[in-house]
Amino acid sequence: MQAIDHHAWTNRWRNRHPVEKLLPALTLLALTLALPPLTIGPLVLAATLLATVRGAGIPLKTVLSVLAAPAAFLLAGAPFLAISVRFHDGFSVQFSPDGLRLAVDTMVRALAATSCLTALILTTPLTDLVPLLRRVGVPTGIVELILLIYRLIFVFAERALTGRQAQAARLGYSSVPRGIRSAGWLAGALFQRALERAQRLELGLTARGYAGELRVLPSECALSWSRLALSMTLVGLIGLTSSLLARGLA
Amino acid sequence: MHIAEGFLPPLHAAVWTAVALPFVIAGARRANRLMQDQPQTKLLLAASGAFAFVLSALKLPSVTGSCSHATGAGLGAILFGPSVMALLGTIVLLFQALLLAHGGLTTLGANVFSMAIVGPWVAYGLLRGTQRLHAPLAVSVFLAAMLGDMATYAVTAGQLALAFPDPASGVAGSFIKFIGIFAPTQLPLAVIEGLLTVVIVNLLQQYSQNELRELQAFPQWSAVEIRS
Repeated sequence: MQAIDHHAWTNRWRNRHPVEKLLPALTLLALTLALPPLTIGPLVLAATLLATVRGAGIPLKTVLSVLAAPAAFLLAGAPFLAISVRFHDGFSVQFSPDGLRLAVDTMVRALAATSCLTALILTTPLTDLVPLLRRVGVPTGIVELILLIYRLIFVFAERALTGRQAQAARLGYSSVPRGIRSAGWLAGALFQRALERAQRLELGLTARGYAGELRVLPSECALSWSRLALSMTLVGLIGLTSSLLARGLA
Repeated sequence: MHIAEGFLPPLHAAVWTAVALPFVIAGARRANRLMQDQPQTKLLLAASGAFAFVLSALKLPSVTGSCSHATGAGLGAILFGPSVMALLGTIVLLFQALLLAHGGLTTLGANVFSMAIVGPWVAYGLLRGTQRLHAPLAVSVFLAAMLGDMATYAVTAGQLALAFPDPASGVAGSFIKFIGIFAPTQLPLAVIEGLLTVVIVNLLQQYSQNELRELQAFPQWSAVEIRS
């Protein structure tokens, strides 16, 4: 979490308008889902890696480590699609060629889609993306709530980590039953602190004239139409190439 | 149990998003109204949402040795009620996608439906039902959290089965296949989460009566408090 957030705030594309990053990423994501995975998948993976590493200047190691966790889940889960079970005359498990194609397709599609997501989240902090929700009709109150949650997450995460270390140092996790009790106490204590924190925030804000609206100074950066047009053209080219490739192969 | 980004075919992703949307909108409306009536509710909800996210990232001691996480659906439903939980759960899942690359945007609807809607509603229904039967609070809470968890996994298995029917035995065969894959890791996990939730609720009951009374903004809690 810290790594993704850190790069989102410090990468080379940090000060570009969020729409310049969101729109191409979402379009690429939609294309990945819509077109045949085997032709578009590798293109999307290459494009997103290039964009994050060459463009935004995020170390390749970081990008790969962020991709590694979902990739491991896919490797563990997708092979089961290639296995077919039968229930007449008893129970039998067998390998199915159709299933194998489905498994490969799904894995490539999911990996490419995840790379679109990681490209977006590694280059754009959450606080830039969430205000865009207002444009699609999410009420201002809910957007503020989401931003408040984002800010509190890091405070609570630190507390949880410290609490856990303290418990572990006192052998709180030396056996499973003890571990359950420790984890429960930790979560309960965390909840008490969370409520306390909310009360203190309320008190502090009321003292400053809070009446239901949090006023903050948003950082303004102009939307560059030329950059947006360029990246959307590239995304369009990827889609075009892959559908031509698919037709050529078929 | 998150479905990864891009794992579901586009049609399924769209349908699950459409199914989840009304619940989330209803939760958001309710929360928005609460926040407008009482501005301090916003801070309480924010603290609760952040707590839910951190709880879901908390590693549980697991017997199988694999790293496993709590869903928090049961505890959330008990503390905040299922309608607000639909909103908070959606925000938590969005954050997991955007901060941890866990789950995804296209599969958000499917994940919201299993984890932020079905799980909390099952947990809440069980809590109310067993409380009406005058079961001890610990038993109620345990059953609610454990079965809420299991309901979540069953729904996820169902979603995967519908998306990837088995070539030989169809959707039903595929459902059994996915349930079979989940069961060995998720059954013990559900039991652990049930026990964990009991520990948390016990602790809160002992030491946080005042704070829980504050949660009267979520009237569901009163069901638990009256009986205790």
